[in-house]
Amino acid sequence: STSSVLSTDKDKSAASKDSTPEGASKRQDNGAEAPKQQLLDIIGSMKVEVSYRKKLQQLKGSESKKQALNKLEGPDSEGSLPQGTIEDTQRGMPLNPELVKAASAVASSLPRNQKQTESELLAQLRRHEETTDKQKKGGTINIRNVISEMTVKKQTPAQRSARISGRVSLQLDEDGQRIRPGRSSAQSIDSRSLKVGKRLNIFTKASTEPEHALKTVSSPTIWDLEFAKEVAAVTAQPPRNGFEEMIQWTKEGILWEFPIDNEVGMEDDAEFHEHIFLDKHLEGFPKEGPIRHFMELVICGLSKNPYLSVKQKVEHIEWFQKYFEEKKELLQEI
Amino acid sequence: MAAAALCWVLRAARQALPSPCPGQARSYYVDWRMLRDVKRRKMAYEHADERLRINAIRKNSILPKELQEVADKEIAALPRDSCPVRIRNRCILTSRPRGVKRRWRLSRIVFRHFADHAQMSGVQRAMW
Repeated sequence: STSSVLSTDKDKSAASKDSTPEGASKRQDNGAEAPKQQLLDIIGSMKVEVSYRKKLQQLKGSESKKQALNKLEGPDSEGSLPQGTIEDTQRGMPLNPELVKAASAVASSLPRNQKQTESELLAQLRRHEETTDKQKKGGTINIRNVISEMTVKKQTPAQRSARISGRVSLQLDEDGQRIRPGRSSAQSIDSRSLKVGKRLNIFTKASTEPEHALKTVSSPTIWDLEFAKEVAAVTAQPPRNGFEEMIQWTKEGILWEFPIDNEVGMEDDAEFHEHIFLDKHLEGFPKEGPIRHFMELVICGLSKNPYLSVKQKVEHIEWFQKYFEEKKELLQEI
Repeated sequence: MAAAALCWVLRAARQALPSPCPGQARSYYVDWRMLRDVKRRKMAYEHADERLRINAIRKNSILPKELQEVADKEIAALPRDSCPVRIRNRCILTSRPRGVKRRWRLSRIVFRHFADHAQMSGVQRAMW
């Protein structure tokens, strides 16, 4: 409810901002200072009233907040409108009475048709309310839905020339936006799912790829190789400068890649405990005796070795296991 | 399909082609002795692990002596060219066995030749 009050504050300040530049632009035609002062006084007083109102609500409690909520969002509370303009009743979107008062004051200060300007201002205010309500509910435009709906337009050359000629002459609407022949369907989206809509056909199915791969491996002939070599020799231009030469060398492997990575070509995925705690590989050996003693020394040495990978260390120990198994008969004689 | 095959072959060919480089491009070893040295190096690389492990058994005060004697015989049974002691660091350009500086792998004469023609990066005549 405090958020609703805050949003109303924002609306009012936005409305005031809207009205002041409009009023300012039109006032410059007149050159009259009095209506400007009137406007500013009204808006200034309006702001003071709003803050006082906020304090009152906070003091009173939840009931008043609920009332304010009902005023803003309930479609049936039209008794709060003092002016009772036709459009308000038709639309059913209740505006704050103070906003309406401010709008009428602005309209009265302007030289043109009072009712028309008032209706326009109220329409703007209503739009603001709609957008803030939408943002609160979370129903704003989703870009993904928009993009899924849109299709890539193909221009005919006639259309292209029309566009180029059209750019020269700027056509402006009432709103100040350019008139276009056909707007995309992005305007009319409120809430759509991703699966609804036409297929865009951007991607084609990759069905025949694996067959191709299998075929290519089996069939390069000598003539193909020769041809490939010829093509490579012809297309390989000599390097135009030192940079291209260095690039070529790097591709060939003559030059290292910078910044220098000390672990190029070395992929050790094993953790440190796999390098150091090698006791589990000693299960095939007898638990006592000189062989065990010897193997424990071997393992101690391996655990301190940073240059071998875990695989190599395991192979080392397995070699010894094989060797001692072959010599078992000899060992039993001893 | 033909295009895909061509692409694959092109990639392979590009790697195999040597780039046009200044200086000599040698396709043979300088002499037979260099060839034999190359063979010895290859064999030593292949048998390095085995030799290390058998030597670990031999140079041991824990294991029984009979086992060590057996290991001695085993290591002697390996091919003669597999021991690293037989490798000689020859000059890579002239195959000269003596007077070879390890850093450049060149014999002293070749090194002097290149250094005087300013083809050795960072090498200068000493004068102090």
